[in-house]
Amino acid sequence: MKIGEFTKLQKVLGAGLVSEDGFIIEGQAKFEYDMDKLGAIAARVANRIKNSLSVEKASAIIYTQDNVLFLRDSSEGIVFVICQKDANVGLVKIRLDKLA
Amino acid sequence: MSDELRVDSGALIFATLADVYISSGMIDEAISILKDGLARNPNYHLARIILGRAHYLKGELDDAKKTIESVYEQVKDSESANLYLGHCYRDSGQKEKARGYYEATLKINPENMEALKELEKLIPDFTPPPVPTAKKAEPAVAEVEERVERKTEDEEEKEAVGVGEEEGEVAVTEEESVAVIEGPEEPAVLSKEQEETKIETVGSLIEELPEKKVEIETVPLEALDKPVKRLLALDTVKGVFISTKDGLLIKNYGKAEHDIEAVCASVAAICMDVDESFRLLKRSGLTRCIIEKPDETLCVMAVGDSLLTVVTEVEAKPGLVFVYARRIIEDIEEILG
Repeated sequence: MKIGEFTKLQKVLGAGLVSEDGFIIEGQAKFEYDMDKLGAIAARVANRIKNSLSVEKASAIIYTQDNVLFLRDSSEGIVFVICQKDANVGLVKIRLDKLA
Repeated sequence: MSDELRVDSGALIFATLADVYISSGMIDEAISILKDGLARNPNYHLARIILGRAHYLKGELDDAKKTIESVYEQVKDSESANLYLGHCYRDSGQKEKARGYYEATLKINPENMEALKELEKLIPDFTPPPVPTAKKAEPAVAEVEERVERKTEDEEEKEAVGVGEEEGEVAVTEEESVAVIEGPEEPAVLSKEQEETKIETVGSLIEELPEKKVEIETVPLEALDKPVKRLLALDTVKGVFISTKDGLLIKNYGKAEHDIEAVCASVAAICMDVDESFRLLKRSGLTRCIIEKPDETLCVMAVGDSLLTVVTEVEAKPGLVFVYARRIIEDIEEILG
């Protein structure tokens, strides 16, 4: 899994791969982000989506006031990418679609 | 408490308790306490009407009719007595009689919806009687008159039954007006003197009443209809719904075939999880999110304490949905805060 490809993109703050139980498999962050916490959050939200909406694979883009968090279930685990809110969200999504 | 009341069935409060039993579906208990209470207070007509109602609800139409008709002469001005007699006769197939009782109900209260509906069913070209305008135009006067009449009737009832003031007050139920039929009927034509006295009493009571403006808050969700319709006009949009952040549906503009309440709860649960998680990171919470399912996409936007969810097909353009939704978000913020 080429997680490093995401962090090369402008305004992407970090990306990682996390197992369903929230343990980081792989992760890269540019700034102060605690990838363990972020991975745990991604796993929690992904599991919630799967349970609540009865879907096999979770896929979501979550916007907050400062950031955008992508999460996507893949065969290897849950891929997540966090970027600034003014990042090129469309580009990140395309990369994520290709990767997952 | 119910045991104490049951023991003291000599008190008129047994009717209130029975009413509570009926509301809770405990019809047999209500009938039992009413019969017991009526054995001690045979002239308590309100209780007899409630007993008739209990019999009706139990499906004992003959008993219901017999019970209410036994006091009908004394309670013929009772809205409830007429309504339930109407129901009894309707259910036993005597439509003409039922119609008579429903009409009597409407004479007493022209806004009785149950009677109106039944009459509409019984008479195809039925036109509801006009609601007296005086009642609407001069609510304060009507209210004061009601108070004056009620006061007189209460006093008469207390004398007749011989109960304490407190008991009399507790026994009041929604059918309070029925309880006071025992008093002598007011003469149809008042003498000039009587009329003047009544006007004076009413006048003094009007002065006593504090001026209180009742503000009824309405939520004009209809204002959202237009922008939502524009959004729904997009081919890929399957449905739009507004819910509270804790998952309760506010309004559904559904094209989608969903268990909408379940979707509301699920979306709210996801949003709560996101908010909570980001709070751990000391970051701001969710403003919007796109959840991709194999068969559809959910675009969720947080607006104050509400969530606007747009259900779209997979091939929809979320960017376009958010642009269209912006107008609705502004309106929701304005309406729901």
